[in-house]
Amino acid sequence: MAQAGKGRLNYRCPSCFMRDLDIDMFYDKEKDEYYCIRCQYTGNEKDVLARNEMVRTRYGAMNKRYTRFDFD
Amino acid sequence: MSEFILNVIHRPEMVPEYSATVTGHGKEEDIGDKKLLTESLDIFRTQQRLAHENGLKVTIHMTYAALFNKEAVEIAKHDHETYGDEIALSLLGLPCEEFREKYKTKDFCIWMFSIEDKKRIVDDVFGKFHDIFGFYPESTGSYYMDADLTNYIKEAYPSVKCAIATCWEEGPKAYHTCNNSWYTLFDGGPWAPWIPSKQNTHAPAADESEDSGIVAIPHLSRDLLACYDGNGSNFGTHPQNVLRGMIYDTKTWEFPYLYNLIDQYRAQEKYNNGYAYNMMFVGPGWMNKMGRWEAPYELLLKSYSDGCKYYGDLKKAGRLTDMTMSEFADYYRKKKTYTEPECALWRDILYGSDKQVFWYTDPYMRAGVSMDQGGAVFDLRPYAAKLKWEVGIGTKHVQDASYPFLIQEKYRAGYFTHYAGEGTIRSAKLSYRGEEVDLCLCRTKAHFSQEGSTRILTLDPVTIEFSDLKVTLQTKEYFEEGRGSIRIERTILNMSRPDASVELNEYMTACYGTTEYPEDMSGILLRCEGAEEKAISYEYRCREESLTGASAVSAVIPAIETKVSMTASDTALGYIKEGYAFSPMFTLGYKKNITDKEVFSTWLRLEKAD
Repeated sequence: MAQAGKGRLNYRCPSCFMRDLDIDMFYDKEKDEYYCIRCQYTGNEKDVLARNEMVRTRYGAMNKRYTRFDFD
Repeated sequence: MSEFILNVIHRPEMVPEYSATVTGHGKEEDIGDKKLLTESLDIFRTQQRLAHENGLKVTIHMTYAALFNKEAVEIAKHDHETYGDEIALSLLGLPCEEFREKYKTKDFCIWMFSIEDKKRIVDDVFGKFHDIFGFYPESTGSYYMDADLTNYIKEAYPSVKCAIATCWEEGPKAYHTCNNSWYTLFDGGPWAPWIPSKQNTHAPAADESEDSGIVAIPHLSRDLLACYDGNGSNFGTHPQNVLRGMIYDTKTWEFPYLYNLIDQYRAQEKYNNGYAYNMMFVGPGWMNKMGRWEAPYELLLKSYSDGCKYYGDLKKAGRLTDMTMSEFADYYRKKKTYTEPECALWRDILYGSDKQVFWYTDPYMRAGVSMDQGGAVFDLRPYAAKLKWEVGIGTKHVQDASYPFLIQEKYRAGYFTHYAGEGTIRSAKLSYRGEEVDLCLCRTKAHFSQEGSTRILTLDPVTIEFSDLKVTLQTKEYFEEGRGSIRIERTILNMSRPDASVELNEYMTACYGTTEYPEDMSGILLRCEGAEEKAISYEYRCREESLTGASAVSAVIPAIETKVSMTASDTALGYIKEGYAFSPMFTLGYKKNITDKEVFSTWLRLEKAD
């Protein structure tokens, strides 16, 4: 089995991101999957992107435009 | 008249910080890689173009490596003449073949070198800059500038008047986020421009004798709520931060959060005599053609283009003034006095929680107040001590440049602890017939006002419900300029039973440190001051003392040369509590029985310990 490398983009581990860890994943060409060397996450690009959307659920106001910043 | 000032800073790094792990993955290190140099210059050119197209002036922070690159030098000279850009000198971006050969190290953070090397490097880069441009720079900077470094630069190169000197709350949280591999440990500083003291960069100068001679600006303008709880590099006025945090819509590539962040900073002029500030500082590393993290190059380009456009449109609308760093230093010196605080009343603009915090910084303290916890002080840095804290190789703190805290609710818990012990917080408890309620559980909002030189937070009243009594209480917090104190006033607005009396326990649970891990508390001296003084020298023995009518309750923490005390407006029972090994804290407080319509104040004071 050949060594892993970086994928098309520097996808980070979505599982670690949810615990505030920013870790690039490595890409296993033979299995067509990204994997994290810190935790046990593995997944293909589609799965990574889907989990990145889950990451965003913490940002409840991500798409909101605020016009007031006080409560006066 | 209100003013919103912007500094845009570009750094032509020839070997971007991330290149080794991103673009360079799978290759042997080649610090002189021509392809990398060409791409870095292309990105710098693009960044310059985007700023200028939007009518924005730039401060160009030439790196050491860029000084060896004729093209980078020519771009800087051209843009200085054409657009009025300032040519400045960065102490970031040291890595290049010339630096490696000369200094025989891969270190690249100026504050981590020994003091001898700091001086050598400064002389080297300032000398090289002078050789090329024929003058010494007026602005410089790094992610952090320790006091000894700044003092040396000011002494040797007095033309310097502005520097990027810290990055707000970039400390253990950033370290952890990077899998414990990014050693930028400098929590506890100001989030907006300040005049650093000669003793400690984080602590603003109280007067001319303490003045380091520069105006410091923060590295980026960061979210004052999100950064305190998460990775600072996800929540700042650098479009890359927002992409790094995944705070954009993947379908539309829109990121309203960046504009909310900028606008919330604009709103801070209400609390700072009509002045607000933003800083955007970018290098080339994040904008490489291979993309960065999940973002392709096209999104990176769009984000910087949109960011510059937003600032540019504000300028066109007359709502923003762009300045170079040296212009800003002159402006700031005229605008601010030494003791004038920086205030920020800040709301959550990302998570949808409506949480609100207040930050206050002056030469004597930095304090954070949480309205979601009834106005509790959740972060406190005793700048009054002006702690001499040398950093770099050969000192006690090779990497740790944080200003120590007395209270830090994330590193030392806050109101909530697991099963046992206490966390750091300054709050109050109300007790009535065996029931006890902490104001940390009373969510509210605050309103800012100013009377003379005192900044006042007036919190909306809260109701405390006991089984057969309702108490409506209002908190006001007074930050007295130049005094190093916070006065917290509680007023009982109403009691459902007017003849009832409740016990009010004003307390501060504290310790000291710069990280999550406990420090040695031995030797901290706790005192009930007054006619019959009582004292405890800290030995983790869980002891308590009290004194009716105590004139003050205090703690002297020798390790950080700090004295913290509380005093009361009326006769009350002052008390001190030692902690124990599983709860390495101390508590100072006053207890008083209060009735309907009664007002009771306590002061928290910070001083340098003898």
